[in-house]
Amino acid sequence: MPAETHALLSIDQHLALTQTLYREARLLDEERYADWLELLADDVHYRMPLTARRFRADRSAALAEGPGYVFDDDKGRLGLRVQRLESGLVWAEDPRNRVRRIVSNVEIYRAETDGEATVHSVIEVHRSRIDAQQRRLTAGRTDLWRLEGGSWRLVQRLIQFDHPVVIDSNLNVFF
Amino acid sequence: MRPHEQAQPPQDYFRYVNVDAGWVDRRIFWDEAIYERELEAIFARCWQFVAHDSQIPNAGDFVTTYLGEDGVIVSRHTDGKVYVYLNACPHRGNKICFADEGNARRFTCNYHGWAFSTAGELTGLPSEREAYDAGDIDKAAWGPRRARVETYKGMIFATFDPDAPGLEEYLGDYRWYLDAFLDNDEGGIEFLPGTIKSYANANWKFGVENFIGDAYHAWWTHDSGGRAMMGGPFPAYDPKDTYHASVNGHGWEFALEGFGDIAILGSQEVIDYYAALKPKIAARLGELRARLFGSLASAAMFPNMTFLPGIHTFRMWLPRGPRKLELRVWTVVPKNAPQSVKQAINIGCNMTFNPAGTLEMDDGENWEGNTRTNRGWVSRHEKLHYGCGKSRQIEHPELPGIVHEGQFNDANQRLFYQRWADLMNAKSWSDVPQRYAPRYAGRPTR
Repeated sequence: MPAETHALLSIDQHLALTQTLYREARLLDEERYADWLELLADDVHYRMPLTARRFRADRSAALAEGPGYVFDDDKGRLGLRVQRLESGLVWAEDPRNRVRRIVSNVEIYRAETDGEATVHSVIEVHRSRIDAQQRRLTAGRTDLWRLEGGSWRLVQRLIQFDHPVVIDSNLNVFF
Repeated sequence: MRPHEQAQPPQDYFRYVNVDAGWVDRRIFWDEAIYERELEAIFARCWQFVAHDSQIPNAGDFVTTYLGEDGVIVSRHTDGKVYVYLNACPHRGNKICFADEGNARRFTCNYHGWAFSTAGELTGLPSEREAYDAGDIDKAAWGPRRARVETYKGMIFATFDPDAPGLEEYLGDYRWYLDAFLDNDEGGIEFLPGTIKSYANANWKFGVENFIGDAYHAWWTHDSGGRAMMGGPFPAYDPKDTYHASVNGHGWEFALEGFGDIAILGSQEVIDYYAALKPKIAARLGELRARLFGSLASAAMFPNMTFLPGIHTFRMWLPRGPRKLELRVWTVVPKNAPQSVKQAINIGCNMTFNPAGTLEMDDGENWEGNTRTNRGWVSRHEKLHYGCGKSRQIEHPELPGIVHEGQFNDANQRLFYQRWADLMNAKSWSDVPQRYAPRYAGRPTR
């Protein structure tokens, strides 16, 4: 992730990017995956590591946070995931589960490169599933967005999942 | 009662499992009493995987895991040996170590500060002189209970049962198959850092039986993921040269086409790496095992360790009650492979087989459904059909164990439940019947 600055964007740009974050959440809630892919830069890197519970005093490197990634995707792999979801053959999503994403605590700063912004946010994903099972998943996100042709595109997303154990039998959702 | 002093089993568990007729009673996936007996007769008895050498290379490195529902610390002591002992303080029973992994010089209980070495010895009590009189406590006798520890090619296993056969006998000729995964190259394997954990509201046995012999589900359950990863549906199933092999309840189902599983990783670099390695594997393990490794396959070691050898995913199914499991997943790579191959394997492995994997995501819902329907009293008293391929047992000149033809078969599952019932019935290890004629007893398999 790029070094953090605390310089703000213009109010127009800030507003446009905030709206983009909310729109992104709605596109995913509405399963408009092709539209979601268009929000992603071609060089997007989308990842979610799972981190182990370790003692605060433990400074050892032997088992430090490793490549235990739930997601470690470029645009091609995200495209494969979308192909799967749109294949009409994902039995676990048929009948459809209802998913609602709540995006909050949005902080937007100018990144070091012109036309790029660092965005911190919190996402809460509600899944309503078979037999009215409810799952509530939360994560912090650190993003890099880039202005391309007048629109904001997601370049990097690091998802800090708040659960050391995935509390659902699958993560058939994007964060 | 010590773990090895078993109560008389209250019933004949073959009333729940009929191998010849090919059915299983659904209560074994739901009933609390059956689950309690599993903790005693299976998880307090059998050898179970606890860590790989590469996960705890240095003195003080540790991981915490479970044998059944018994939490254990697995740590490498200053003598270089690995010790496995109950993660429960012998004073008031609190959990000793709340971290998942790391490095520590000692473990100290949060409650009164009793301290334990990385070999599981009780080494210190705060205010010992003021609190305790001479004769109150023999520290040497009051460490947490230690398990037996044995290793096979870098894999560390443990059991709390002093009467269990040695690991080599427990594995039996399954070693012949395991070598294709663990020992197909001179460097052996290593576990990449990072444990991915998830819960499912499912009985642990559904996870294991899915890996021990259920190629059948892939064509239907994984159609969406298969099309995404391979650009089209799975090729039509061809039963020629496909098998189920079972040894002591462990199982491996496989084709022999050589690259089916490796291809699912979606990396040409990995395919090229193994294409170059295959002749060396053949020289090391023989032509048959060179074709076995990397083919479309899945495998499980009784009771709850599973892996997909060519996809390089390795997983443990930890029971959390009869209706919940914790799945732990790792990526395994050849130690001598170039870094870029290891990275490609890890990406392909996580892309397909973790809680967000394009193939694995379609599984959890099934196992939860298999379990949850048993809430119904009528449903629970129905039998499940496990009769596929009953008549296809063969003698094979090279394949050891009990071998059936056809990758679509319930044979390994039937024999898993036979072993399950054998152990549930047994008062001790000496009651557990030998169900096959070993070819490699006392001999190395490579």
